[in-house]
Amino acid sequence: MIRIYRLFRNFGPKVALNNLNFRVRKGEFVFVTGPSGAGKTTLLRLIFGAEKPTSGQILINGINLNRISRPKLDLLRRNVGFVFQDFKLLPKRTVFENVALALEVTGEPPSFIQKKTHQTLRLVGLADKEKAFPLQISGGEQQRVAIARAIVRDPLILLADEPTGNLDPELTKDIMVLFRSIHMRGTTVIVATHSRELLEDTAQRTIFLNRGRIVGEK
Amino acid sequence: MMNNRVVHIIGVGTMVVSLLIFGTFLLLFVNLNTWIHGWGHSLSMSVYLQDGIDKKTRDRIASSIRDFPSAEIKRYISKKDALIDLRKALGSEAGLLEGLSRNPLPASFEVGFTDVESPETGPRKIKQVIEKIDGVDEVKYSEEWLQRLEGLMNVVRLVGFIIGGLLSIGVLFIVTNTIKLTIYSRKHEIEIQKLVGATDWFVKAPFLLEGLIQGLFSGAFSLLMLYSCHLFLSAKKMHLLGLTVLDFIFLPTEYVISIFLISVTLGLAGSFIAVGRFLAAESYAEI
Repeated sequence: MIRIYRLFRNFGPKVALNNLNFRVRKGEFVFVTGPSGAGKTTLLRLIFGAEKPTSGQILINGINLNRISRPKLDLLRRNVGFVFQDFKLLPKRTVFENVALALEVTGEPPSFIQKKTHQTLRLVGLADKEKAFPLQISGGEQQRVAIARAIVRDPLILLADEPTGNLDPELTKDIMVLFRSIHMRGTTVIVATHSRELLEDTAQRTIFLNRGRIVGEK
Repeated sequence: MMNNRVVHIIGVGTMVVSLLIFGTFLLLFVNLNTWIHGWGHSLSMSVYLQDGIDKKTRDRIASSIRDFPSAEIKRYISKKDALIDLRKALGSEAGLLEGLSRNPLPASFEVGFTDVESPETGPRKIKQVIEKIDGVDEVKYSEEWLQRLEGLMNVVRLVGFIIGGLLSIGVLFIVTNTIKLTIYSRKHEIEIQKLVGATDWFVKAPFLLEGLIQGLFSGAFSLLMLYSCHLFLSAKKMHLLGLTVLDFIFLPTEYVISIFLISVTLGLAGSFIAVGRFLAAESYAEI
């Protein structure tokens, strides 16, 4: 599903990613972990096509991101959901509208958008908050809106950058349950986190990054 | 939402002002052109005929003049009529003519013009051709006056092109920048649209529609204001050097349509440039 070869990313003299090589199989659940500045966010941004590598290759379903055109990248993103650390919700749109946006951009018919958005908000436990605006709900609820938006299109890949970074242990648990249920439906999930608690009880594959290098794998 | 409304009002306002300047200039240009043409029509040429030519020769000369589509024979003045005219012109001094043993005045054609500008059919060309015809003695018209007229027309046209061109660039610049303001006020929304897989056209479409509507509104407003100015000006008689002379006309339909189309095109082009630049700049800086 995802293949990464000899991947380098420099920011001026600073090397953010240093010769990464790994692959993620279809339907796999992978944690990417490491201290702050290890390169976790940069790696997810590169997989999402939000940045170009300095050198090296990223292949998603056989498509080389280095050679992909802008319109094709837009289409590829429709199969990749991204949960941002800062949620990236539109404050002037309701919870429902924020989630529905991901379907609107693909030109889905309104009846389908209505049905699918309601369904996804029920899945993340926000059916009763549809009409609220992001600033009227809690941080944990905002996080779940961001997850709902990322999964509403049933993406093949779900990328999540520190999805529990701002949440208390109880909410963290809820969010991880949600990710596992999404994974159970066949979605390939990559979660970047520096949270040790999150990794303690997990048997999932974990890639350890430090200073842009892979320093271990479990 | 409120910010966007203010930005739109500023955008339409600046565009209306620019189009109004452009339209005012065009209105002045059209009227100046009409007045100059009017003066051109009053230009006349005298084709003097040799004494003793027969009717056949005279008809041939008349037909040669009529061959020029822009020339029209206003009057044939026979030798006798010329003398009568001179007598009238001299008034009480007409007695001076009594001593003449024969009529010294030549017969002539008085020629007017519908087009004084064309080098192919204008007075200068007609003079060159007609003078060579047998039976024509001399062709006279105010060449200096015509040269001034032509010079004036050329200056007006050149100034028109320069000002029109500069104003168009100015309007395009204003539209691009006002749309850019709208884009920046919705930067966050566009970024998120792109992150969830919106195509460039999905993002561009509402801005192009905004540009189109901005163009439509600006075109309509500026034409309305221009027409109001025209009504105000034409309600008063125009005076030039103390003479009540000139009719102040409004822009011809094709000019009105052109201003409207220019406005819509500039609105669309401005949006297209602004949103295109924004998307190109943001393509790898979205998160």
